[in-house]
Amino acid sequence: MSDYAIDTKELCLFYKDKPALDNLTLRLPRGGIHAFVGANGAGKSSLFRVLLGFEPATTGSARILGHDCRRLTPALRERIGFVNEEHTLPAWMRVRDLKGMQRRQYPHWNDARYDEVLGHFNVDPGQRIGGLSRGERAGLNLAVALAQRPELLILDEPTLGLDVVAKRAFLEAMLEVAQVDGGNTIVYCSHQMDEIERAADNLVILERGRMRYMSGPDDFCDRIRLWVAAFPAKVPEVRQLPGVLQVQVIDQSTHVVVFDQDEGFGTRLKLLGAQSVHAMPLGLDRAVNAFLAHGHARPAAMPAATPLAA
Amino acid sequence: MLQIVTGDPRPIARQITDGIKRHIASGELVPGDGLPSVRGLAQQLAINPNTVAKAYAELTAEGWLLARAGLGLFVAEQRQRLSDAERERRFGEAVDRFVSDVIGLDYPQQTILDRVAAELSHYATKKTA
Repeated sequence: MSDYAIDTKELCLFYKDKPALDNLTLRLPRGGIHAFVGANGAGKSSLFRVLLGFEPATTGSARILGHDCRRLTPALRERIGFVNEEHTLPAWMRVRDLKGMQRRQYPHWNDARYDEVLGHFNVDPGQRIGGLSRGERAGLNLAVALAQRPELLILDEPTLGLDVVAKRAFLEAMLEVAQVDGGNTIVYCSHQMDEIERAADNLVILERGRMRYMSGPDDFCDRIRLWVAAFPAKVPEVRQLPGVLQVQVIDQSTHVVVFDQDEGFGTRLKLLGAQSVHAMPLGLDRAVNAFLAHGHARPAAMPAATPLAA
Repeated sequence: MLQIVTGDPRPIARQITDGIKRHIASGELVPGDGLPSVRGLAQQLAINPNTVAKAYAELTAEGWLLARAGLGLFVAEQRQRLSDAERERRFGEAVDRFVSDVIGLDYPQQTILDRVAAELSHYATKKTA
């Protein structure tokens, strides 16, 4: 048995001339909750399509639960769950029929979990899926996916469009699944940093089809620091200093977000004429933001580091 | 009751260790009190159980908590775990910070001292460290 839930090597996927995946090498160990973040178009959904065998890669290899993604058997698919962001389900079916069908197809089906997750949503078994709201459809889709108890569960922005209560219900269900079905792997892609902070064991940052970073979310935050410096005269060019991700000038102080820099960075700022400098940690949200802002697409006229609206 | 907030510069594990230390220091948790299980606290806070386990492991290693086989974690008898020099350094730092915060508020010195004494009296139930 492969030790990796997902194992890709130099994976490339082109749409016409545009690379969606660019030599992506990614090894996710089995077990735990892995959160993917990335700007729009970073390649998250493309990666999932290749992994699930919906689309062949242009070059490179991709394996899921130790098997080649180009040749997935029904028996293997049974061990993999997938929730797409549109929550696509057959609109003409009634809720109870969908449940009946899924229950027949998945041998590890768990009725109690289905009821528990769906209990947070106002869904009647006799309703047609086409008549559900987006949030209700999401709830149904999640209930079905979690009740299948797959070895590997891939969730593509599952909480998009859910209200706060439904989001919390989903989060609790996901954590419970990760805990109860120990050893199972959840791969989860989201823009909700608060959810990631609560739930994720591992953080994977994708950017333009490449893997930029992977570690636990706390370790990631440990490596990012915000330095605030006051330059009495003209603000020097600090963007060229090592490890700088983001620079903002706010009133009289210059805010510099850096990666993997020790106290020596403060000394450099002082050498450039800073009157006072101090460093502080950043929360996950701002840390990821700075990391992604560094390589984010922007209009040509816009400088690399624009002040953010508070 | 522990509270955590996301978006705080302190990681969640740190918020848990800080919170439990504060509960112990204030006497809300006394030696011998049991802690919630890893799973229970994770569920209560809607966070990853591994985060709770990490926080508990740190508190146990530092002597705040004590594991009893099969029974879970308990608040340990608290001893002073810092060197005299480190205590003195932290004390000095805290006083400096406090003085610079209140100096501009123009209260008479006695008012400030009385207020601090009143605050400290909340923690007086705690056995001397």
